[in-house]
Amino acid sequence: MKKKTFWETCRPYVMIGPAMIGIFLFVIYPMLYLVYLSFFKYNLLNSAMSRYVGFENYIQIFNRPDFYKSLTNTVIYTGGVVVLTMLISLFFAVWLKKQTRLNYIIQAGIFTPHIISIVSVSLVWLWLMEPNLGFLNFALEKLGLPTSQWLQSSKTALFSIIIVSVWHGIGYYVLILVAALQGISPNIYEAAELDNTSRFRVFRRITLPLISPQMFFILIIMTIGSFKVFDTVRIMTGGGPNNATNTLVYYIYGFRTTNIGYAAATGVVLMVIIGILTFIYFRLMSKKVHYQ
Amino acid sequence: MASIEFVNVTKEFEKKDIIKDLNLTIKDGTFTVLVGPSGCGKTTLLRMIAGIGPQSSGAVLINGDDVTAVAPGKRGVAMVFQNYAIYPTMSVRENIEFGLKNNKVKKEERNQLVESISAAVGLTDYLDRKPSTLSGGQRQRVALARAMVKEPSVFLMDEPLSNLDAKLRAQMRLDLIELHKKLGTTFVYVTHDQVEAMSMADTIVLMNNGLIQQEAAPEEIYHEPNNLFVAQFIGTPPMNIGELGVDGVKFGFRPESAQTSDTPVDEYLSMEGEIATREMLGSETLYQMKYKDSAFMLKSNYAFYKVNQKIHIGVPEDKIYLFDSEGTRIRKDHERYSSYLEVLRGY
Ligand SMILES: Nc1ncnc2c1ncn2[C@@H]1O[C@H](COP(=O)(O)OP(=O)(O)OP(=O)(O)O)[C@@H](O)[C@H]1O
Ligand SMILES: [Mg+2]
Repeated sequence: MKKKTFWETCRPYVMIGPAMIGIFLFVIYPMLYLVYLSFFKYNLLNSAMSRYVGFENYIQIFNRPDFYKSLTNTVIYTGGVVVLTMLISLFFAVWLKKQTRLNYIIQAGIFTPHIISIVSVSLVWLWLMEPNLGFLNFALEKLGLPTSQWLQSSKTALFSIIIVSVWHGIGYYVLILVAALQGISPNIYEAAELDNTSRFRVFRRITLPLISPQMFFILIIMTIGSFKVFDTVRIMTGGGPNNATNTLVYYIYGFRTTNIGYAAATGVVLMVIIGILTFIYFRLMSKKVHYQ
Repeated sequence: MASIEFVNVTKEFEKKDIIKDLNLTIKDGTFTVLVGPSGCGKTTLLRMIAGIGPQSSGAVLINGDDVTAVAPGKRGVAMVFQNYAIYPTMSVRENIEFGLKNNKVKKEERNQLVESISAAVGLTDYLDRKPSTLSGGQRQRVALARAMVKEPSVFLMDEPLSNLDAKLRAQMRLDLIELHKKLGTTFVYVTHDQVEAMSMADTIVLMNNGLIQQEAAPEEIYHEPNNLFVAQFIGTPPMNIGELGVDGVKFGFRPESAQTSDTPVDEYLSMEGEIATREMLGSETLYQMKYKDSAFMLKSNYAFYKVNQKIHIGVPEDKIYLFDSEGTRIRKDHERYSSYLEVLRGY
């Protein structure tokens, strides 16, 4: 065999070099720096006064009730958004699977919120959900249904935010699922028809397994995204009322000027939580998900 | 057991008639083979029987009853799809027993059926595999097993053996013939392979452009073709066709009907030509002979004519077919049959 020249040995590394530099600068380095910061009591005015405190920030995190409160909020929020989005987008996708003109229009309609900035969406909903003058309560009242305090009560605020997030994101996931459904060969459904399969069984034994890779993708993407929710909370409630909608990222944001070391430590905790969740998902789903 | 009947059936796709005013009766318990060029509507016909691509107008009758309103799963029909259509997420076993489960067949009976059928098609070792890990031929066998296990009264098969190797195909061909004998159910079988059609069919239905060209037993369709299309579709190589030069009439003879010789042959139609190509097939040899502007295929047991050699051929009178300008067969009882035939005398 011919001996590789110096250039041949280096070539792959040179090729991926630019991408690796980017990843290092913008992903790896900030992450390491975050971990580094989390071990300090950081002084913004004079970084020379910053003090290494070891794991003190972490100890503090796990002893503060407000951290647990925002963690709980985040988990509820994520659970709510993921479950609702999966169910509703699956429903719409099955409904819109047939490619008729009407369905195209409806699908475009459902997708539209997704292209609008979440900031505008939040502002519009903030206005709709206003308890006294808002449209939602007006409509509920006209229909003779009980009204709600929406964002202004600690009981309903988190759920209101979930509604807005689901409404905003659903079109995108419907799109993915519709594409997945249309990718299934019609012959398979015909074979099932000849096998005298009930509609429910067709859905459970054929449709669901065949779109499970896409469902899994949505699950992962949404869980990670929802754990990092920020904009909606920032604009609609500012974490209130009474911390009812304070989520992890918003919690971190609250310490951006007062205690950078503590904020960094919470960021690391968030990263670890998301990492663990993703890992668990992959372990669980590798058995259930069918990749062709 | 079931007979199938098409009554004035039309099928359109996107406003185009693919099948037009088709009338066809498939008798109970027969093995009917549908043949025809690609795109002629064979699959479409099968799908109408199964009910998964219903006719645009007309009626499909199974056992004399109009089944237009009967769901596919309740027609007692099983189908082997051209592209298998096996359930990709289920194991081979689950694929085979899916229909049985839907019909609430008991577990012991189910297992027994699956075992015996999978043994019959040679899938026993693959029962727990996923279809994506199987070869094309194995998948085809899964599709066959899935249809067989339901013990249907009508068996629809859309080129079920096309992906098997020659040996396995011959084997499965025999198995299917045997299966048909054993079950006595109605088989409707689509194929491109003439050998398959000839060897398996009770009745061959030859289609072109959605129209039935001829519906007859294999011998009849071979020896008594209704028209030019049938004559040229059936047989390998197909019938030789030449211009008679009168009224646009054509004559034809099969490659094996011609006697070949170095010396002039005393037969009704005789001519002298030059060998253009030679293909040795084993027991027989195929020659292409140039005569004037046309070329004729000859099938002979004699393997030693050489290319460019001059030879004489002769075709007996009863092996000559005549077709009119539309391609319809001119039979013996046609008033001008003998006068046309006379022209060939001095061809
Ligand atoms: N869903 C459809 N939409 C539009 N045209 C179709 C559809 N299905 C079939 N056709 C047309 O109908 C004609 C007959 O198709 P069919 O599948 O029955 O052919 P086939 O005889 O089975 O051919 P092959 O031997 O290639 O399988 C073709 O011209 C095809 O283009
Ligand atoms: Mg076909």
